[in-house]
Amino acid sequence: MTELNVIGKSVARPDAFDKVTGGRHYPVNISMPGMLHTKILRSPFPHARIVAIDTSAAEQLPGVKAVLTPKDVPQRPFTPVYFVPVESKSMVLDFVIMSDTVRWVGQPVAAVAATSIDIAEAALELIDVEYEELPAVFDPEEAMRDGAPQLHEHAGNNIAKNPSLSIGDLEAGFAEADHIFEGVYQTQRVHTCYMEPRVCVVDSDSSGRLTVHSSMQHAFGLREKLAFALGLPESRVNVIKPPYIGGGFGGKLDLGFIEPIAALLSLKTGRPVRAEQTRGEDFISTARHPIKVFLKTGVKKDGTFTARYIKSILDTGAHATHGSEVIMVHGLYGAFFPWKCPNQAWEGFTVYTNNMIGGGYRGYGAPQGCFPIESQNDEICEALGLDPIEFRLKNTHREGDPHPVLEGHTLSSYRLDECLRRGAERIGFDQRKKAGSSPGSIKKGIGFACHPLWVSGCVGFPDIYEHAGAMVKLNRDASADIISSCVDIGSGQTTMLCQMVAEELGLDIESVRVVYADTDTAPFDAPTHASRATYSAGLATKAAAVDARKKLFRVAAIVMEANPEDLEIENGNIMVRGAPDSSVPMADIIARAESPFIQVGEQGPFATTLEEKGTIIGSASMSPPTNPSPAAAEFVELEVDTDSGEVKILRVVYAHDIGRLIHPNSAEGQVEGGFQQGMGYALMEHLQFDQETGACLSGDFLDYKIPTAVEMPAKIESIFIESNEISGPYGAKSMSEMCIIVPAPAIANAIYNAIGVRIRDLPITPEKILRALGKI
Amino acid sequence: MKQVIELEINGEMQELMVEPYDSLLRTLREYAGLTGSKRGCDSGGCGCCTVLVDGKAVYSCMTMVMSTQGKKITTVEGLATDGRLDPLQQSFIDAGAVQCGYCTCGILMASKQLLQDNPHPGDEEIRKGISGNLCRCTGYQKIVDAIRHAAESR
Repeated sequence: MTELNVIGKSVARPDAFDKVTGGRHYPVNISMPGMLHTKILRSPFPHARIVAIDTSAAEQLPGVKAVLTPKDVPQRPFTPVYFVPVESKSMVLDFVIMSDTVRWVGQPVAAVAATSIDIAEAALELIDVEYEELPAVFDPEEAMRDGAPQLHEHAGNNIAKNPSLSIGDLEAGFAEADHIFEGVYQTQRVHTCYMEPRVCVVDSDSSGRLTVHSSMQHAFGLREKLAFALGLPESRVNVIKPPYIGGGFGGKLDLGFIEPIAALLSLKTGRPVRAEQTRGEDFISTARHPIKVFLKTGVKKDGTFTARYIKSILDTGAHATHGSEVIMVHGLYGAFFPWKCPNQAWEGFTVYTNNMIGGGYRGYGAPQGCFPIESQNDEICEALGLDPIEFRLKNTHREGDPHPVLEGHTLSSYRLDECLRRGAERIGFDQRKKAGSSPGSIKKGIGFACHPLWVSGCVGFPDIYEHAGAMVKLNRDASADIISSCVDIGSGQTTMLCQMVAEELGLDIESVRVVYADTDTAPFDAPTHASRATYSAGLATKAAAVDARKKLFRVAAIVMEANPEDLEIENGNIMVRGAPDSSVPMADIIARAESPFIQVGEQGPFATTLEEKGTIIGSASMSPPTNPSPAAAEFVELEVDTDSGEVKILRVVYAHDIGRLIHPNSAEGQVEGGFQQGMGYALMEHLQFDQETGACLSGDFLDYKIPTAVEMPAKIESIFIESNEISGPYGAKSMSEMCIIVPAPAIANAIYNAIGVRIRDLPITPEKILRALGKI
Repeated sequence: MKQVIELEINGEMQELMVEPYDSLLRTLREYAGLTGSKRGCDSGGCGCCTVLVDGKAVYSCMTMVMSTQGKKITTVEGLATDGRLDPLQQSFIDAGAVQCGYCTCGILMASKQLLQDNPHPGDEEIRKGISGNLCRCTGYQKIVDAIRHAAESR
């Protein structure tokens, strides 16, 4: 690959200085004169009808400025998910901000705006709600049975959505098999654990126009959904893009309750209203859906798949929201298409229960598919004595194959084979011992998992936004401003955009910045999700920089009396190709474009040309051409203490076909952080609820345990394979979700290798290990 | 009832109106205008609010403000001196230890105490020293690198 000036270098992140000196620009820090504070009263019951709400005592409390109840809230159902149209036919539309029926513990039933948080909290205690309790159901399989409590009229047996996929003849495929493997695999509800709580400040002006600050992953999605929820035209809502937020990981990918509640209270009072969730509220606001997967696979002796049947039951909680789409992504990219099998059927169920509503979380259905399939793939290899790496390669795709999901597209860059081989070599996979053969009470194991198919954005998905836009404005001091609504959620989107513009304009990284943007002034960009920002927002921003350069060359050609096609740009200078003496500082050209038509020089006035006048702005708004798949494999070495059941991860090697590295340090950061989340998923994280009352039992970090620096392995090694994706910016494709899809099955397979017993439900806690070993 | 107290924050005496039940975190963020200390959980679980009180790292969300009178409070805003970043801050930038950055200020303060008590810690000691602070972006690896580099550069 050609060496580039800025791309491929770990340049200093432009946001890092601010973040190490106090991080002043998080949405959590927004404050306005006269701002009111909101608290939300939430239902203590999992299923009930609200008979009456008396807010009179709360309204009389000094400092209380407004109270909101379901009667104040529009009741037209929609989907709060940012990345689809608000009334998308591919989603189940069952959501309103406040309703007279409560379906989960924690559902908002009233809200207060007051001059302080303490007063707002005190006012909640004065609101009297009369409930009529209804029977509740918390287990999705129970909820599907006849006679179970029904959550929504439109969904018989509580089935919100029931998609399916099939190919070939399943029965014939199983008949053809030499061996059939069956297993049931269960994943649990986990939280993204973004560190900045969901928080917003909404202001309204005298015409009722709203200005919104929020910690979220999509400015335009927030504008669309908030406007709909309030019954306003979109142009009455302006969402400010935060310069950065304190993490998201998919957990800030839908309209929360807080934005519309703060907006309605602001409209009622004419004052800015702030709402900030407590950590306990955050824990019941979003989660990765638990999915139970029934998996039956037929194989030939040599390990060729002949048939596979997959059934997935997803607990979506009280509303379908993300559960409408997670089941699809799980089916398509988590279960059905990653592996080649001529006879295959998948059936998915998105099921209502009286649990909290699930949300988006990095991987979006794929971790719940990769864990069962890669666990069973390992079981097959173990039982048939097959080489587990060759087995994977035999049953999945090759570079140049047709894209398994997108008709007419190909896997133009695809190096799963290299990921597997290089990862195996680095960890010493050929030294792996037979399962359970490690001597002593502390047993070592090595395992791996791969994921053969994923996305770089959402091109090809029904009803999902994907286009991106940007503007690049050149300044007279030879610097460039990027106007983009792509939200930097921590993974370095701002840095990446600056690198691409610096590369195209021959500038150093310090001369490029991402500036203020809001939905009034910036072009649309889809959310920061689906591993799409580098590929999609990157392509559009690069195109905007190319457009700016073209305009710059047009002016330069006039001034330099040259042909624009003959010009090139290097280190802030423009020159005729092959004639370094012709070099003119870029700043002079930009200044000339913005200078008066008749200028006064030492010799007196002289005319320039009209054609060269005008601020140099490049813009682009476009869809990416395709959806290239990354590939990844992760190898884990660990030890299991068979007396205590504890697992210690010793070493991790992760290999990823990234297309091209844009910022090596940030790419490693994605791998390392992804492993922390994946390891938590595999071993310890579990958002738990009381099975009688529906109340959350793990609503803080003391009860919801995530890995600290002490539990993490000493070293996570990244191998990046640069396959040069032809459609991507500089050859890049996606990165950040694969890193969380593969860790859990890799760890589960390594635990099996250590102890010789298979555990099929996450998280694999010490208790489950001891139980599996027959020790308790 | 609010009352006036005097606190020494980052070497300056400040008069602040507080409720006697206020935490140090709320006082810093809402009354003193120092938003570097972050609220991540308000229950001593995440460490985003970590500050130094008389040189010891504490969760400011779990520290009653009244108990800090007469003590020296240092927040992330007090780390840089004479316009120069603390070596830890510079190391965090150089090592790529900052992603979303919400935990960063708290981890910097925990690291500050760690290096004061143990100027040349090993990796395991570094990991233990920041084990009261959660980060969800980085997997801690580059944070550990940054603290090690800062220690080496002293």
